[in-house]
Amino acid sequence: MAKNQAAVGLLFSVALTLVPVVALAQAGVGESTKAADEKPAASASSKDEPPAGDTGTDAVAAAGDDEAGSLDELCKIDPENCVKVDMKAAADRELAQDMYAVQQIWALRKNRVEINPYGSITMNDQFVAHPGPGIGVNYYFLDWVAGGINGNVYQGLNAESDFNFQTSRAARVGQPITEYQWNVNGNVTLVPAYGKVAALSNFIFHYDFYFVAGAGAMSTRPKAVVDPDNRTFDWSVKPTWGVGGGIRIFFTRYLAAMLEIRDYMFLEDLENPSIATGIDEKGVPLAQDPSTWLAPDKSFTNNVQAQFGLSLFLPFTWKYELPK
Amino acid sequence: MTMGARIKTANLSLALLAAVLAGALVLTAAPEARAQEIQFSGPLAGAPAVRRLRLHREDRFDVAPIATFTLLDEFRRNILFGARATYHFTDSFGVGLFGTGGISYNAGLADELQEKAVDGRSCDNNPNSLACRRTAVSLCRGANCLEEKQLGSIVWMLAPQVTLVPFRGKFSFFGAFFMDSDISLFVGPAIIGLNERAECKKGECAGNFKLDSRVTGSATVGLGFNFYPTEYVSFGAEFRGTPFLWNTSGFDIAGKDTSFPDEAIDGDDQSFHLNPMLSVFASVQLPTEIRLSD
Repeated sequence: MAKNQAAVGLLFSVALTLVPVVALAQAGVGESTKAADEKPAASASSKDEPPAGDTGTDAVAAAGDDEAGSLDELCKIDPENCVKVDMKAAADRELAQDMYAVQQIWALRKNRVEINPYGSITMNDQFVAHPGPGIGVNYYFLDWVAGGINGNVYQGLNAESDFNFQTSRAARVGQPITEYQWNVNGNVTLVPAYGKVAALSNFIFHYDFYFVAGAGAMSTRPKAVVDPDNRTFDWSVKPTWGVGGGIRIFFTRYLAAMLEIRDYMFLEDLENPSIATGIDEKGVPLAQDPSTWLAPDKSFTNNVQAQFGLSLFLPFTWKYELPK
Repeated sequence: MTMGARIKTANLSLALLAAVLAGALVLTAAPEARAQEIQFSGPLAGAPAVRRLRLHREDRFDVAPIATFTLLDEFRRNILFGARATYHFTDSFGVGLFGTGGISYNAGLADELQEKAVDGRSCDNNPNSLACRRTAVSLCRGANCLEEKQLGSIVWMLAPQVTLVPFRGKFSFFGAFFMDSDISLFVGPAIIGLNERAECKKGECAGNFKLDSRVTGSATVGLGFNFYPTEYVSFGAEFRGTPFLWNTSGFDIAGKDTSFPDEAIDGDDQSFHLNPMLSVFASVQLPTEIRLSD
């Protein structure tokens, strides 16, 4: 049974490698040539093709005098191969050419996996910073749509700012602050814009813009500021959701630098700014009762991060199927 | 471990091995893509990377109304309206002037301090409470006093600047809509007009709150993203940092050569701020006719 499963697995993996992943760029020259060839042929058969037995001289006469003269000479020399096409009409015909503005897109994403290690810094919290490493993994179903996950680790890196200390001392206020432990998110990424830039009209690099939206979970806890003698808080997990946008600059077809601004939103538990007074029926001060430590209302929190790192795309490359 | 458990473990290992192999093969197999052939030999060999470039900047004036928003504000947010005018000698070099002035309003922290630390304590009625005595130098008293008498804000800014455009290209939305674009860098001196809490000496600061105007100098440096939907109209955004020392809070936070308060408001209470700003603009290039490079 086990061997059968393994054999099926191996066969499946071999089959996957045999499935070609195809991305379309400019239509092959062969196709364009075929399309272009078809029009004049149709045109010739409908109105330019001379009736049977005609030498083609009449048709040639429709062209310019010089062309008519030279073609006429040719027809006299070799009547069998005399040109029977209205050259002016053929020159004026509408061409069926497909041209792409960005030919041979340098960094195709479809059916590739992106591995994105990054570092992050807090953008919107003056009182405590939550830097930390993170990693994201995305699979691109299309060149412009991906699904994936990402996660951040903050524990041990939360840092109170001098501004927090100075404001608390000068105004004698305790600003409730929180520590973050980790978060994980499922994401959908859209890549609407792709471009290329020439540096000093010489070196050309490629870039794209993307937007991301996701939801997940985040582990945080308040830091005891108001009553640190009595209060300690455990980590707790909250649902989180968020949006962001970023830019990737490609160094190679599989390696890019990225910068993303991401807003992770969640409902945060903050420390209660008031300290309960009195004692309970057992004679224990209410200030030591954990049910009095948190503020009655949750606080809607935006944790805006700048994430900067690398994007590694797998497979590393692909084969362009070039026209002959 | 029982025989059944061993078989189960072996099954799991084989299935895992097959899955890992499948994943590795999928990730390392090179997919195929079709595209036009690029000729590295023949008539295009050695040709420049870019020909017939639309010269959006060279020998043209660029005039842009601009709205600037300060970022990462501690107590007061500023929205500044102004203009930027630049003359470009080449497509990658220009000189110009950035000027702006505007309004400011309280950030969330300022409102919270006003509500809890000023209005909530009502120090005019409780001048001898511990909190009121300890904050007499650093917190004003009265409704809206933080905004009107204490907190600093940027009033105007003037910056002659050099603009460099090292990167230019084009980009597409979903491969359907295309625009020329470039990335510019700019740097120059800056003169900034501030409203800031007036200085006072030790023993004279309690209850002495008013805003003074101050002009300071700095440098400004930034990065702009510019998009050209037509041959003479563009739009974009730029990020600018203008670092200087100022006292945004009006607090007494330090004394001479020490970080301990000295009950005086002076230059020792100023702290370094990068003062990041984000500007958005629409721009017109004059003359409207555009030239092409070779």
